[in-house]
Amino acid sequence: MYESDIANAEEAVKSEAKATEAVKEGEKKAEYPPAPKLTAADYPQIGGFNSRILVWIVAQLHLWFAAFVLAVPIFVLIIEAIGMATKDQRYDNMAYEFIKVSMAAYSITAIMGGLLTFSLLIFYPDLFKYLTSLFSRSMLAYAFLFFAESASLYVYYYGWHWLEGGFKKWVHLTIGLVLNFVGTVLMLFANAWVTFSMSPNGVDPGTGAFLGSEWDVIHNFLWNPLNLHRVVANIAYGGSIIGAYAAYKFLGSASKEDRAHYDWMGYTSNIIAVGGLLPLPFAGYWLVKEIYAYSQQMGITLMGGVFAWLFIMQAVLIGALFLSVNYYLWCGMGRSEGSVRYTKNIKWIAAAVVACFLVWFTPHTLVLTNQELKALGGPYHKYLGPLGIMPAKNTAVNIMIIMTFLSFTLYRRVNKIATVSWADAGSAVQAAIFAGGIGNIIFLGVYHGYFTNTAYKVASSIPQVSSTAVVIIATLIIDSMMFKGAKEVAPLRWGNVPARSQYALFTLAVSFTWLMGLMGYIRSGIRQHWHVNSIMRDNSINAFTPTIGYAAQVVTLAAVIFMAIVIFIFWLSNISSKKSAAH
Amino acid sequence: MGKVIGKIFIFLLATVFVFMWVGYAVTKMTGGEKKAAGAVEITPEGGETIFWGKGRCFTCHSMGENGSAVRCPNLGVWGDKFPLPIGKRAESRAKERQAQTGLPYTATDYLTECLATPGAYIVEGYKNEMAVVYAPPISLSLHEIKAVILYLQSQGGEVDVNAVNNPSEIAKKLHDKISAAGAAGGGDPGHGEEVFKGSCVNCHMLKGEGGKIGPDLSNAGNKPLKFLSESILRPVDAITPGYETWVVETKDNTKAIGIKTKDDAQGVEILKATGDIVTVARADIKELTQDKTKSLMPEDMIEGLTVKDFQDVLAFMMMQKEKK
Ligand code: HEC
Ligand code: HEC
Repeated sequence: MYESDIANAEEAVKSEAKATEAVKEGEKKAEYPPAPKLTAADYPQIGGFNSRILVWIVAQLHLWFAAFVLAVPIFVLIIEAIGMATKDQRYDNMAYEFIKVSMAAYSITAIMGGLLTFSLLIFYPDLFKYLTSLFSRSMLAYAFLFFAESASLYVYYYGWHWLEGGFKKWVHLTIGLVLNFVGTVLMLFANAWVTFSMSPNGVDPGTGAFLGSEWDVIHNFLWNPLNLHRVVANIAYGGSIIGAYAAYKFLGSASKEDRAHYDWMGYTSNIIAVGGLLPLPFAGYWLVKEIYAYSQQMGITLMGGVFAWLFIMQAVLIGALFLSVNYYLWCGMGRSEGSVRYTKNIKWIAAAVVACFLVWFTPHTLVLTNQELKALGGPYHKYLGPLGIMPAKNTAVNIMIIMTFLSFTLYRRVNKIATVSWADAGSAVQAAIFAGGIGNIIFLGVYHGYFTNTAYKVASSIPQVSSTAVVIIATLIIDSMMFKGAKEVAPLRWGNVPARSQYALFTLAVSFTWLMGLMGYIRSGIRQHWHVNSIMRDNSINAFTPTIGYAAQVVTLAAVIFMAIVIFIFWLSNISSKKSAAH
Repeated sequence: MGKVIGKIFIFLLATVFVFMWVGYAVTKMTGGEKKAAGAVEITPEGGETIFWGKGRCFTCHSMGENGSAVRCPNLGVWGDKFPLPIGKRAESRAKERQAQTGLPYTATDYLTECLATPGAYIVEGYKNEMAVVYAPPISLSLHEIKAVILYLQSQGGEVDVNAVNNPSEIAKKLHDKISAAGAAGGGDPGHGEEVFKGSCVNCHMLKGEGGKIGPDLSNAGNKPLKFLSESILRPVDAITPGYETWVVETKDNTKAIGIKTKDDAQGVEILKATGDIVTVARADIKELTQDKTKSLMPEDMIEGLTVKDFQDVLAFMMMQKEKK
């Protein structure tokens, strides 16, 4: 029977070929060829080498380094501008040190990009050819832009001290702006190639033949959602890596001045990372929403079935991120004696964050063996079950964000006392805003989660998010007015933090790294057996969707390689600075 | 500094290994890692790999104590509800099905039907929610489905390789359905039928039902896939003879566009896309021309269909073969 299957298939292919000829008769030859249809033999095998894992790891490394290298100039430029505006040389020095770290990473990004191109060319030649035929112009532009990127980066970095003071500083800032612009455009191109493979556009939906407009191909359905997501995530990620650098330097420095400097640097990076982290879930919502809008099928693959379990992993990682951020802030309160006023509150915040984390972590169907299930009497635990559903999770995330923000707010006032006459009233209003915001989020979560039908469940997330935003913005506004001219009671003593706080920065960086790896797996995994979703099928022997455990191993391997390279870079910048100090 | 680096690296390694372990544990708890191999043999072992791997059956079904899925019928022995494993259960369910339809169902036929047309006979207490496993995203081939059937039979029943490879009358039809879906790039013909009823039946006749504006599609399955997809994507490029688009202009300057259903000494008869028939006497015709740039089949047909609809309707078309 199996043989006859093959025979049937062959017959079908033959008659298909005939019909294609028939259809083509009298019709002018199509302008662009269709997407190739591949067989396992079209994928070169070299030894017993697993080409997919190779491409996967190289692509992931390229992405990590690129994210870092693209993000750093964004906030370096901002810090440099702050330094210029406040005339505080410390900012300028820190900005310079940031960009210095990213210089070594830059060449590694390029090397990884080259490696990725070669491995695609070698192992996925037909896919590569198809993609280059569609993206011919943008790929060429990419190559040229890459020169522009290098040029502006080199001038920006090596010209830092040359272009100092007065008008020259403006020139330098402008170069920084050009650098960021070029970098962003580079990323937008690369994003287009990636999103095209998820939500192809500008090609014939039946055959994959190019329809002639490269802009249509670039401007595909998921392009903008991914662009936003990546810019925001890159900033958070860049901050976290620089934070790890500062922590590394902090732990290695002997002098008090150095410790103070790196403590401050670590703190600033942490703020940058958190600043990027807070809006990230919302950018993520948008992306997922657009994935659903593009293809219900893809959305279901993402949120249901095997991939659904991945969100438990994601919860673990994001929980680790939030906990380390909070932990770092709490440790940092020790920088000022004024913190005694607040330390007793920390345990409540800690309890709330952990509780939220646990709710978030509760999977929809509890992860239980069948025996345990029998004992419990059903898949949904009587008490814990409802915590697994989406509104409960949204509620938990929002409260976690608010609590982190609360830690930050308290941290900001450890060293000062507001002197404005309405300070007490102001604090009371802030407390009311926090309480009201949290109350509203819980109410929405409970009401929409348990008393309305499914359609509304998703809807509840929007007012919840708005409540969070209102709390954050209102508190910031009141704070800025209330602490105008505030009295400093106990100065912040930079460097005066325990070493363990620095490990929180490492946890932040490594969780971020791993999380990005995992999300990369799911982003490309939801295409399933397609190179280009619904257009070009993956017919290699590796066309199966890896399980989470399998992906976890690959991501871990890639992360270890990444960490080793990064530590090497840190070490390099260390010996180079030693040398310049000796001079 | 060296010592610091060592400490940091160990800390980082420990952290990523914790993450890896969590990933691993999650996978283990959700059905284990039996990697879906590229090709399997038509054996119970091959089917087992599919069941716990590529076929994703484990995301919905447990097998007795194995697996953690609870949404859908357990296919092993499980509580009071499932006293028999699926291999044995299939035999009794086949008898029920036989009583219901009057057709000679065997256990193999029943299992084939479970996979080919999951909605045909729904397990009591469950909804028609079983995935179409030969359509995307799972896209099992007929070959793989045969292997899965043997695996299911190996759970307490008789492994009937012969029946799987030489299908009965009932199973043959189901096999055809699965092959057709595979040939159409993996569409779900069941849903394709709905699409057809929604978008096409007004113009096309299928087994004696439907409109007459377009050709009868009862035998569409005999045409190659490529032709069918072209016909939908770019109807005008391959207009079926006899269905060309004609434009009649009358002397009082009215126009009718449609298919010419009659053209004789008295005049012409035009069937418009709306289904209306216009008859114009020879004497009233000012001009009668064929418009080669238009098909009565709408050019933008595809715009109203999602990619999935398109694939599904193609799969449905591929199944339309009248008995010779
Ligand atoms: C999306 C969830 C889902 C997936 C995936 C799934 N099934 Fe099912 N299956 C169901 C549901 C729901 C039922 C009960 C309703 C019905 O009979 O159609 C069912 C019923 C069955 C039955 C009939 C059971 C009985 O007691 O008679 C069999 C056999 C079966 N599935 C086999 C499979 C196999 C084999 C696979 C993998 C190739 C699979 N299913 C994948 C949801 C699923
Ligand atoms: C407004 C009426 C109309 C609708 C709606 C319509 N068609 Fe058609 N179809 C036609 C006409 C007229 C032809 C013959 C002219 C041609 O080949 O372009 C045709 C031809 C075809 C052919 C080629 C048949 C052959 O044997 O040569 C196929 C296949 C087809 N249609 C499929 C579909 C499908 C599938 C749908 C629904 C998604 C559909 N059509 C909707 C009018 C229609």
